[in-house]
Amino acid sequence: MVLDGIPFIGSLNEINNDDIKSIDILKDASATAIYGSRGANGVILITTNRGEKGQKAKVTYSGRQGINKIFAPYPMMDGPEFVALRAASARYTNGPDEADNINTDWQNLFFRNGLQTSHDIGLSGGTANGAYNFGVGYLKDKWLSQSRGYSTYNSIYGEVKIPWVKGLKYRTTLGLDFMQDNNGSYTAEGVGSDNATTISTASISNYHTTHWNIQNLLSFDRLFAGKHQINAVALYEADQYTSFNSGTAAKGIPSEAFQFYSLGQSLGEITTNSGGYSQNGLISYMGRIMYEYNNKYMITATIRADASSVLAVGHQWHTYPAISAGWNIKNESFMQNISIIDRLKLRAGYGQTSNQAVAAYSTLGRLSSRDYNFGNTTYATGYYVTQLPNPNLGWEYSETYNVGLDFALLNSRLSGTVEYYISNTKDLLLSLGLPQTSGVSSYTANIGETRNKGIEISLRGTILDNVSGWTWEAGVNLYRNRNELIALASGQIKDEGNGWFVGHNINAIYDYKNIGIWQIDDPYLSILEPGGNAGMIKVQYSGDFNPDGTPTRQIGSADRVILDVDPDLQGGFDSRVSFKGIDLSFIGGFQIGGVLVSTLNGPSSYLNLMTGRRGNIKVDYWTPTNTGARYPAPSGVLVGDNPKYLSTMQYFNGSYLKMRTISLGYDLNQALIKTPDLRMRLYFTVQNPFVLFSEFTSEMGMDTETNSYGNQNVATGGVNSRILTVGFNAPSTRNYVIGVNLTF
Amino acid sequence: MRSIIKSSIATAVLALFFVACTDILEEQPRSIFEPGFFKTEQGVNGGLTSLYAHLRYIYGNAYWYNAGVTGTDEATYAQSADANFKVMDISGQGNITPTVPGGSTNLWDNAFPAINTASGIIENASAVGLSASLIAEARFFRAFEYFMLVQTYGGVPLDMGAGELKFNINPARNSVRNTVPDVYTKAIFPDLLTAVNDLPDVGRLTGTVTKTVARLFLSKAYLTYAWWLQNTNNIPTYPDAARTDPDGHDAAWYFQQAFDVATTAIDNPGPYGLVSTFYDVNVGSNDRNKEILFYADHTQSSEKYTGASLTYGSGGNADNFASWMMTWNYTEIRSAKNADGTVATPTVLREASQDLGRPWTRMAPTIQAFVNTFADKTNDSRFDGTFTTVYRGNWTKGTDKTAFYYGANGLQVYPGDPILTFLPDEPLIPITYTTGAGPSNVGGGTLPGRADYVISPSGISRVTYPGTWKLSTYRTDNAGGLGQPNASITRPFPIAKFSELYFIAAEAAVKGATTTTGKSAYDLINVIRARAGKWKFNRAANVAKTDDYSAAMTAATPATPATIDLNYILAERSREYYGEGYRWFDLVRTQKWGELAATYRIASATKGDHTAVTVTRSIQPYHYLRPIPQSQIDGMEATADEKAAFQNPGY
Repeated sequence: MVLDGIPFIGSLNEINNDDIKSIDILKDASATAIYGSRGANGVILITTNRGEKGQKAKVTYSGRQGINKIFAPYPMMDGPEFVALRAASARYTNGPDEADNINTDWQNLFFRNGLQTSHDIGLSGGTANGAYNFGVGYLKDKWLSQSRGYSTYNSIYGEVKIPWVKGLKYRTTLGLDFMQDNNGSYTAEGVGSDNATTISTASISNYHTTHWNIQNLLSFDRLFAGKHQINAVALYEADQYTSFNSGTAAKGIPSEAFQFYSLGQSLGEITTNSGGYSQNGLISYMGRIMYEYNNKYMITATIRADASSVLAVGHQWHTYPAISAGWNIKNESFMQNISIIDRLKLRAGYGQTSNQAVAAYSTLGRLSSRDYNFGNTTYATGYYVTQLPNPNLGWEYSETYNVGLDFALLNSRLSGTVEYYISNTKDLLLSLGLPQTSGVSSYTANIGETRNKGIEISLRGTILDNVSGWTWEAGVNLYRNRNELIALASGQIKDEGNGWFVGHNINAIYDYKNIGIWQIDDPYLSILEPGGNAGMIKVQYSGDFNPDGTPTRQIGSADRVILDVDPDLQGGFDSRVSFKGIDLSFIGGFQIGGVLVSTLNGPSSYLNLMTGRRGNIKVDYWTPTNTGARYPAPSGVLVGDNPKYLSTMQYFNGSYLKMRTISLGYDLNQALIKTPDLRMRLYFTVQNPFVLFSEFTSEMGMDTETNSYGNQNVATGGVNSRILTVGFNAPSTRNYVIGVNLTF
Repeated sequence: MRSIIKSSIATAVLALFFVACTDILEEQPRSIFEPGFFKTEQGVNGGLTSLYAHLRYIYGNAYWYNAGVTGTDEATYAQSADANFKVMDISGQGNITPTVPGGSTNLWDNAFPAINTASGIIENASAVGLSASLIAEARFFRAFEYFMLVQTYGGVPLDMGAGELKFNINPARNSVRNTVPDVYTKAIFPDLLTAVNDLPDVGRLTGTVTKTVARLFLSKAYLTYAWWLQNTNNIPTYPDAARTDPDGHDAAWYFQQAFDVATTAIDNPGPYGLVSTFYDVNVGSNDRNKEILFYADHTQSSEKYTGASLTYGSGGNADNFASWMMTWNYTEIRSAKNADGTVATPTVLREASQDLGRPWTRMAPTIQAFVNTFADKTNDSRFDGTFTTVYRGNWTKGTDKTAFYYGANGLQVYPGDPILTFLPDEPLIPITYTTGAGPSNVGGGTLPGRADYVISPSGISRVTYPGTWKLSTYRTDNAGGLGQPNASITRPFPIAKFSELYFIAAEAAVKGATTTTGKSAYDLINVIRARAGKWKFNRAANVAKTDDYSAAMTAATPATPATIDLNYILAERSREYYGEGYRWFDLVRTQKWGELAATYRIASATKGDHTAVTVTRSIQPYHYLRPIPQSQIDGMEATADEKAAFQNPGY
């Protein structure tokens, strides 16, 4: 992210919405060349509102009041359904505090509506020489957790025109950021335990981050002979990011009033965590020339060299070019008479970008620690190698080819772009798992090459332009991306240990293929699943058969298949209708195809054990009288704590259509207030109103939004950590907001 | 003009920062260690500590425990068992496969990092100036890991990527298995011989290894290798290797070596020895006594250093939770609040005491354990010192302060009274069992005049069986209440005991080693049996008992050397080490697994069923080796044929 020209290390929600003037997204290599390796995955340019010179002072106020309700509770079985599950499983009986006739809806007791209030006041304006912008905001959100942080992002710059050459400027920008976060937590005695005397605990932690960035930019910008526009830029940049953290935890807090403020006085064990320190730096050189002839033909050539501290010595520098050309077809003489087309521009480009997104110190290898006690009083910490050094760790870089067409028709009432790209990423940087016999579990390496190719189309149209007071605009964007692992550095075609398969998505899923449930009298159960039972999940067998038709072996690891996760099509849409000051708008998104992974339905979370041991989500399970069900018999064979192959139940069809906001507003300018400087708008918005056409939402009632990485928010195990999943996390909310915007 | 000067100055000041700091490309970590740390003294010491710490991931881990006990004549799976426990029983409940290996992967996953760390210490230690005895500790661990690996999987790789027995920091993605004799003669024996030579007599810290520990494993390695060379029952090995010793000795030589090393250790015990009674060996208040040579330590004093939660154990890798497996759900026992038998209330609550503990009900003892192995329950204190047969009311330790409840036959039971008893022998009058769970809620039966519900040995089932005591929870911070029964066990988990030296020497003697005076197989076993005859505490009756039946015990030992045979030694081993994780290894070494564990009897997992059935196991010769975990096969960069050849046959 780049905020007003300086790379921004905070997060998007730290920026007040009202301060944002515009957001631009840069995707192709040429556009991202100026940002180098940090822009390898695209760049979000955020420009904030600054006052303008000579502008009269302007005050803005916006207020919001919202109610947040959970989108949907977890679809848990109620009392009678759970009693039936426990009986069907025949493994557990009621404990001393359980009875069959109790039916408590715990989520109903637990979840409350959230209230959100915010007020923002801003003042901006300008004098003859400068501009200013000042704002203050207040946010009260009863949903957020307690944590205090302080961030400041600053930049200063100086610019000088070189007097001897017209159009030549030299500019230095220095950016300095500082972030600090303090957290504290306290758990009183007996809380969260079934034993009232369980000791109290408390902890504090601090995180500090500093970041400095300096850019030296020499730029030349001049129009020759009225037709030749030349812009040349040379850049030298240095950047360093440092963070460190520490924390302390204690047991046996002597007084509830102390909470976490005086850990040193605790009665029990006090431990300081290992603390952390990380520093990484970047140096870059860049040169770019842009030439535009008569606003019709343009060509840009860039060359950039980056060096990063996180890569191995000898592999730290990478030099890469980018070139792009554009043809503004509309400005051609033969296009002047075609009035239907207002804008037509063709662009094509080739560029390389590099990526060094690995953690600092990855090339050095890592030791992990294990604490141990010798007897009851002697303590020591042990170390062993868990990550190998990699003296050959180099840049990951992508070569992107793209071609795009921008157009506007019918008096700019219809505009859009179509873009096609192929991006090959070479020397992909990932953590590689090693077999146990190497003695070490993993190391970070350049493991192979992937290709992303896709097409993006976006259209925007003004369908009705003030026809008897009605205005209607709509926009849609569609995209389709295919990710494919082209080659692995090891030369393998399949790397099951790491889940990499040449020819498939790098985050493909490798699991058995669910083909239903074993019914009574289905043949070969005892051969394919010795020890199995009718009612267990049936998975595909890919082995051989004997001449008499019987399978030659039982189902095993060789029967796992690769499941591709790329959606067929994704996109978003929005529309706005207005009539005399009243406007209705909506924004939504959709996906066709793809796979949604929900760890809630699988063996990693504890919400679907199906053994009757814990509360269970409501699933339709097999019994001898309910043989059409999808979920297995609760009394069947278990592996770990769950029915065998339950992991196959966590893959859902990823299609959905989701409305993100629907908003109804009323602009009072025309109706009530005649003062030209006063603008006022009231609105009512529903955020996250509904989801349609989703297999997951129809079955579970919950939002399709992923909220975890594959190994997060699970009780045990999980899937590949790079895959995004719906996990056991705070549920998403549906928000109803009333607000007012006022400018005077 | 002013603005140009101002902006020039500003620019000039800023440009001072232009000074290219190329040292921002250098990395200096300040909170992590990288492998270079192993070349420092602290690093090497830290490596040694991590060797001890890794023991927790294998010993005390419930799944590794399962691999050592389930499927033998000692135990089978129980009511809450999942596939990992059921397949180890090899009784038609599924097959042991590389993807459902029943816990035998814990060793494979954790041994190689430890071996690599040990090799790193050995290589770097001389540069750092580490003493020979510390290097010997690393050698011991390397040999110990290879010994466990070769017993479990057959031949294993000696080269981890940098050469045989060398510290590896290369990303090695392929691997070649050495043969069994290679592993013994190149790794295990040389390292253990150096360890025996260089280790001190007394540990430098509580629980660190010493000469005696090294001698025990050396003699056991000799013994196991001798059996492998002899291979009387034709059990296949993998990778294929002829049964000849590369060092040129025969099985008889190794049996003799085993006898000699074991008896030397017995005669030079250093600080170790047998404690006076069997009860004292395993009681929680006597942990880290002189008979326990080697253990995976834990402590109640520090949650950070014990590596597990002191309040709620998750059953994770480094926890000590093996004992939970053979603990049945006694918390389901009910007594009646009213005289008419209504208002069933739990009277035996979950408590952090060695008798009770946390029930996971994954494994159950077989009936022959009670009827055959522990036939003598009167003179031999070991039955009482192994099983918990009486479940006493402890409800007042919780919030329930009721004075008494009604038990069997409508009789009153008070706090501390037996609520459910597993009788040691079949009673003269047959027990009246109820159908289903009955008023006790666990299928307990009644005998006239007894307030406690009873179950006899022939009625033991997969859901209701006596608990095991030796490895169970022991805490000193319960403050008179129930304590934290769900916490991981804070006791050290024993790996080797001094008493085993006697068994090793006796077994070597029976296999033909020449004995010395006073150390015939008969003499050696009698030392163990005599000690077993000394009582200290009668747990079943909950009273102290100081009778000494050693004379009766030794008198009962088969008198002539010929009748101390292998089966008798194996039976004695089971009496001494029941449920401690040894059994599978003992039966596999002596090639008696198929014979002694072919069938077993137990009643089903339905409460109230006390009709034992005979279950047959189909143990095949290929089962004598456990499968290589699928994660190793998947993680290797090798052709399909190479991968298939890496796996043990049959899997």
